[in-house]
Amino acid sequence: MSNQVHPKDKEILPGLQIEKVDDRIMTLNVGPQHPGSGHMRIILKIDGDYIVHTDPDPGYVHRGEEKMAEYRNYITNIPHLERPVIHDSCNILYPYCLGVEELLGLEVPERAKYLRVIAAELNRCVYIEYWLAIYGIFLGHSTMFMWPMGDRELCIDLLDKMTGARVTHAYFVPGGVRNDIPPNFEDVCLRQINYFEKRLKEYADIFYDNPILISRTKDTGILSREDAIKLGTTGSVLRASGVDFDIRKKEPYDVYEELDFQTNVLKEGDSYARSKIPWLDMFESCRIIRDALKKMPKSGSVRVKLKPKPKGGDTEVYRRVESGRGSLGMHIVSRGLPQPYRLKISVPSFRNLIAMPHLLTGEKLGNMPAVYWSLNYWPVEADR
Amino acid sequence: MGTASGIIKALNSGIKHIATKRFTFRYPEQKLKFVGDGYQYDPNSGVGIAGYKGRHILFHDKCTGCQLCAIACEDIAEAIAMPKVEEEWKHNKKAIMPQIDYGKCVFCGLCVDACPFYALYMTNDYELSSFTKEALIYTPAQLQVKPKVDQDVEILIDEKGAKHG
Repeated sequence: MSNQVHPKDKEILPGLQIEKVDDRIMTLNVGPQHPGSGHMRIILKIDGDYIVHTDPDPGYVHRGEEKMAEYRNYITNIPHLERPVIHDSCNILYPYCLGVEELLGLEVPERAKYLRVIAAELNRCVYIEYWLAIYGIFLGHSTMFMWPMGDRELCIDLLDKMTGARVTHAYFVPGGVRNDIPPNFEDVCLRQINYFEKRLKEYADIFYDNPILISRTKDTGILSREDAIKLGTTGSVLRASGVDFDIRKKEPYDVYEELDFQTNVLKEGDSYARSKIPWLDMFESCRIIRDALKKMPKSGSVRVKLKPKPKGGDTEVYRRVESGRGSLGMHIVSRGLPQPYRLKISVPSFRNLIAMPHLLTGEKLGNMPAVYWSLNYWPVEADR
Repeated sequence: MGTASGIIKALNSGIKHIATKRFTFRYPEQKLKFVGDGYQYDPNSGVGIAGYKGRHILFHDKCTGCQLCAIACEDIAEAIAMPKVEEEWKHNKKAIMPQIDYGKCVFCGLCVDACPFYALYMTNDYELSSFTKEALIYTPAQLQVKPKVDQDVEILIDEKGAKHG
């Protein structure tokens, strides 16, 4: 009889259990419908104003992308694989295309490589601007919501001219890109990117040098260099903790080794540094786009012709790229079929989520949004 | 930097933008201009032609009823069906042509890439909303119609800033 659990002590739902705890501790669910939390829930235990326990609960938007990929061939996989991050859809297709090209032994034309880099960097700007807008409104700064949303339109317009869609471009294919750029795209791109960079500089006055932002984000959620490496974080979170790691520099893919850019590293490891790194990355993206437009071959093929249902050999490949959030990898296992035998997506969002309990525990509840969104976390991508 | 000077700098940066023109535009009256007449594909070279991926356009005089577009869509959205049409074409013995359900279509344009006869392209028309699900299903006769587009707003950039005009 002693083994029987009283119905009141039973766990009804994770986080909603009725438990006998100290009267001081309160359980607080942030999400999953909260507009700020994204499609995920954070179960917080708070003692007064301080967070004593954090339990992130992702999985609300799991769509089974990996399983779906096993039933579609290498071309029809394209539209659904970019759905996890529609704002960064070129970068999530990048490792897939690189992997399938290696499987099928395709040689990508030089011009297509440059077009891919331009599309990927524009897409990175689109993603970071969206992320920055949400970060601004999280901290109650409504101007910082409006400005990036408006300036994002400059990059979306360029991608629209290039690929034919504002989001979910379906532009990358194994063997190149879907179409060439329209005539005099270079001039329009250069003009809009120059203006975009001018606008980015104005963010410093209103947001990054703003004493209100600094007082809210400085010295909150500090992640040390050792912990960042140990927890396996990636992208802006890792670089804000003083680790110089960027896939574009360490394992250059396509034409990144020929282009002129640098990686941004800050040593502080707090929310302020984590929010500043993506903004600095956008300047580098502008630099890459300008350099790529200059070095791009003026004409030539952009796509290798494929057979209707190409088959890979009996091998497996793993390729990774630097997306807007960090290193994004895809492991494709081929068994000589027209579709992948297994596809595993390694997403940066999920890797950065692991740092969340480490950072939030011990913080004040009011600092939760500033720390949470500085992790550059995209719930839909983490759930796949 | 001091707190006061930082706040003044931020306010000053915002005030500068009161005089500049708004970046947004009045949508139903003004519409954004796109490049070209929509996404097209050249099966000879195997490369697409840049353009907006909007509603499709079907050329009845070129469609052979080969169903390659429907097969291409099979694993993506299953939006294309091949019903019978009451038309007589020498090259289309089966008299079947694509019918597209825009409640399912994801506008990826891979059906255009699949067509080897220059029969299926995309257009700049993106205003497809309707009150019923049935009205979203476009028959071959509806797909044949060339859309009317009056899109002329572009992003203009000058010293004062960017605006739509």
